[in-house]
Amino acid sequence: MILLEPNSYVLEETLYARFTSEKHELVDITLVDFDNVIYHVQSVDGQRSLLTLSVEMKYYNEVLAYGAEEILHCEYGDYLVPVTNSQYQITLQFNLEQLPQDKAALAKHVSMLKRNVLASPFLRAFEYWESQQEGAGPLMATHYRDDEAIYVQAQQDRVTVIFSTLFKEEVDRVLGKVFLQEFVDARRQASIQNAPQVFYSSREAPLEIRHLQGLKQDESVGYVSFVLFPRHFADPEVREKTISQIQLFRDYLHYHIKCAKAYMHSRMRTRVQDFLKVINRAKPDRTTVAAEKRTATGRYFRPQFRQSASTSPQTEGGEW
Amino acid sequence: MSNTLRPYLNAVRSTLTAALCLENFASQIVEKHNVPEVESGATKEVLLNPLVVSRNENERVLIESSINSVRVSIRIKQADDIERILAHKFTRFLMMRAENFVILRRVPIKGYDISFLITNFHTEQMYKHKLVDFIIEFMEEVDKEISEMKLSLNARARIVAETYLSQFV
Repeated sequence: MILLEPNSYVLEETLYARFTSEKHELVDITLVDFDNVIYHVQSVDGQRSLLTLSVEMKYYNEVLAYGAEEILHCEYGDYLVPVTNSQYQITLQFNLEQLPQDKAALAKHVSMLKRNVLASPFLRAFEYWESQQEGAGPLMATHYRDDEAIYVQAQQDRVTVIFSTLFKEEVDRVLGKVFLQEFVDARRQASIQNAPQVFYSSREAPLEIRHLQGLKQDESVGYVSFVLFPRHFADPEVREKTISQIQLFRDYLHYHIKCAKAYMHSRMRTRVQDFLKVINRAKPDRTTVAAEKRTATGRYFRPQFRQSASTSPQTEGGEW
Repeated sequence: MSNTLRPYLNAVRSTLTAALCLENFASQIVEKHNVPEVESGATKEVLLNPLVVSRNENERVLIESSINSVRVSIRIKQADDIERILAHKFTRFLMMRAENFVILRRVPIKGYDISFLITNFHTEQMYKHKLVDFIIEFMEEVDKEISEMKLSLNARARIVAETYLSQFV
């Protein structure tokens, strides 16, 4: 449970259920994914065998410039249809009667849609590196959230990925700092020497993006740079894995900050229980009515020292 | 236990035991009222001198006593940002449950992190020495809890970072 999946599990489940159902039911489901991506699964009016998946992705126009459309055509060409509703940027349509044999694989493949679209700037950068051009490549920014962005830039011998991440809360900022510091320090371990280099700075933007306009410069912003070396992207298989991993960095970081907070909360709960036990020890135990002793004649037997001037009659049994 | 903590707690314990010598005292200002005099502060002659027991500049206890009530305020050690946040979270968590703790005050005194208010009614209904025990144990445990939380946070951060980065190898 430590790592996050690159695909959207709930989308995969939903699609797989529709693909395999005997009867084509009317569906209208809205699902959300990381980075404000919204999926809308809907069956077409009148034609129940058609299922459309519309995707709302705020940063789609940005990644178009980095070749997202080619990726979409390459990956989902058979299902791609023109967008009808301006709220959505991508629409796929499935004919439930003409699906390929392996429906699970198709559902899985479609659930990787967000990952594949967001992979475009990374692929572009890796291609630039392959072309062995002199100097640094173009700086590609993707504003995947309102105030946060990923910057990807290819250099001759490496690819730099910079995340700007915003901490809305003071507590998150402090916890985030602890986590990010560990990311920087973790590379000292011998076992992960080969991992990309990580740099972290708060407030100050790294040199690569310092010339950009409109960067936020205050306490709440942090910049994390990953330096990817050819060993992380030269091999096509490793390349795909690297892309999936690095995209999820922000989600991963914030997910674990939330986890840490939840853990602290549960600790505090148990601690409060312990304290309550200690304070309750200070209360003298009172005999309840049922446990009261009677003498042989039927009178109540009650030792005199239990009397207390300020206690209410209810707690004392009230049978005097 | 470090060698300054023991005398510090002992000093707090004996001061508290001495201060918890309370009796019923009705308000002299308003008829039929009976308020903790240390809170109202309206009758100067029943207030005693407040006393500060301090371990260092960051950790101290303020004990304000009066004829029918004692107010104990604790300042918890906060060395850095994380400890500050943890201490704040923890004391707030406790104070939101003040009803269950009977002697806990909902709002701390200015300059302190958490305050207790013990009145003569509490000492009549509960064992005095156990109340003192509770406050001493609280002081011990809070420090321990905060440092443990900090350690677990660091350990978690390290595992999280290593797991993520080892994916790239």
